[in-house]
Amino acid sequence: MLEKEPSVCEERNYNKLFRKFYEPATKYIYYKCGDFQQAEDIVQNVFIKLWKLCNTITYSKAKSYIYTACNNLFLNHVAHQKVKLKHQKTLTDNIDYESPDFIIEIDEFREKLKAAINTLSVKEREVFLLSRVEKKTYKEIAEITGLTVKAIERRMSIALRELRDILGKEIKV
Amino acid sequence: MAKNYIHDDTFLGRWIAGELSKDELKAFEQSEAFKQFEIINRESQLLVGPNVDTEAALLIVKQKLQTSSKTSKVKQLWYSIAVAAVLIISLGLYLTSNKTYTTAIGEKQTITLADGSVINLNANSSLSHKRFFWLNNKTVKLTGEAYFKIKKKGPFVVNTSKGDINVLGTEFNVKDRTQFEIKCYEGKIRFTKLNNIDTTKVFTLTKGSQILLDHNTIKEQTFKEDTPDWKTGISKFTDQPLSIVLEELTYLYPITFNINTIDTKRLFSGSFTHNNLENALQTTLIPMGITYQKAKDSHVIILSK
Repeated sequence: MLEKEPSVCEERNYNKLFRKFYEPATKYIYYKCGDFQQAEDIVQNVFIKLWKLCNTITYSKAKSYIYTACNNLFLNHVAHQKVKLKHQKTLTDNIDYESPDFIIEIDEFREKLKAAINTLSVKEREVFLLSRVEKKTYKEIAEITGLTVKAIERRMSIALRELRDILGKEIKV
Repeated sequence: MAKNYIHDDTFLGRWIAGELSKDELKAFEQSEAFKQFEIINRESQLLVGPNVDTEAALLIVKQKLQTSSKTSKVKQLWYSIAVAAVLIISLGLYLTSNKTYTTAIGEKQTITLADGSVINLNANSSLSHKRFFWLNNKTVKLTGEAYFKIKKKGPFVVNTSKGDINVLGTEFNVKDRTQFEIKCYEGKIRFTKLNNIDTTKVFTLTKGSQILLDHNTIKEQTFKEDTPDWKTGISKFTDQPLSIVLEELTYLYPITFNINTIDTKRLFSGSFTHNNLENALQTTLIPMGITYQKAKDSHVIILSK
């Protein structure tokens, strides 16, 4: 299998990488910093660097380069703002919440959930959102963040416990 | 066991990933907190993040990149070095390069040099000299034939295949073809003959004197005309072998001769014009008793008795 790797310097391949990783990387940085404009700037700068260094980065290494560079750039922007999340428009409202269990209306609960997510520390918030909103596996999250799967499991556990501490009283058991 | 989610710091994370053992899961599902965790998990998965316009971002990045090059710094450095080297070498080559004037068959050219000297270049000839700093060392190289009118400003040298001509303000004609001939029309020149065997020989020519090189021996003669006939659009010959006459014709007209059995050592006296091939052929060939015809390819002239 001596198939030659596609060159990042070829615009076709670069565009492919861009279309594949720009969105997830931008969302990831957004979940960290809560400033969408800043997230876009960071990721765009990373892709500009990727093009300039296209000779030194192989196609298969591009993904980890992109996320590592995003992380490094983010360290210089540690502003921690609230993440704005929306609920899906098409909610499957037939979820059986057994109405009596809820003290408050579901809409109100959802607003509180978003607020509660914003009280998490950045470390837990980014892991929680990558897993629950972006539906990424722990392995993928580990690649993105540079952490071990074990660390992801811990952060996920902390996040869930904290969310329950805040929201638990809203859900009657 | 029931409070695993509190004591085990990876328990809830493993639950989300579906990695709890059956027993762990069973115990967890019966705990009072399970339903709360389940609802938080379920509701969280209904959330969506921001809208990302990838194509717009790609355009922005491309625009930003257009103002910067795509090569790495190291490559850029090498590239700059290479460009600089090429520039320096080319500049060097350019500064030491020659300027060459060449005339085609039947073409004549007048060249004025930087010191005001005027050179008339006959057909099928070329003259070259250094492009720069020529005034410090006025040397020109000639092949073919040219008439020189040199301004009196320091030494002036003409290189030919047979030797160098040193000049100090004068007018002379140099013919360096099959025949080699220098005619001095004005002032004084010195010809230094190249000779691989003997020591070089020096000849001085004044107005009205000429030298002919014949089989490596120099014949010194005198002549009467004030200007070389080729400049007036005529080639004149006095007792010259026919081969020389035919050669001269091929310089002035785009033709070649098919000589067949013609004896070209026979001597010819006469002239031909430079602006009419038919005329030139008649005046040179008919007196010699030679008939000629043009081949299909009209550049070839077939001679016969």
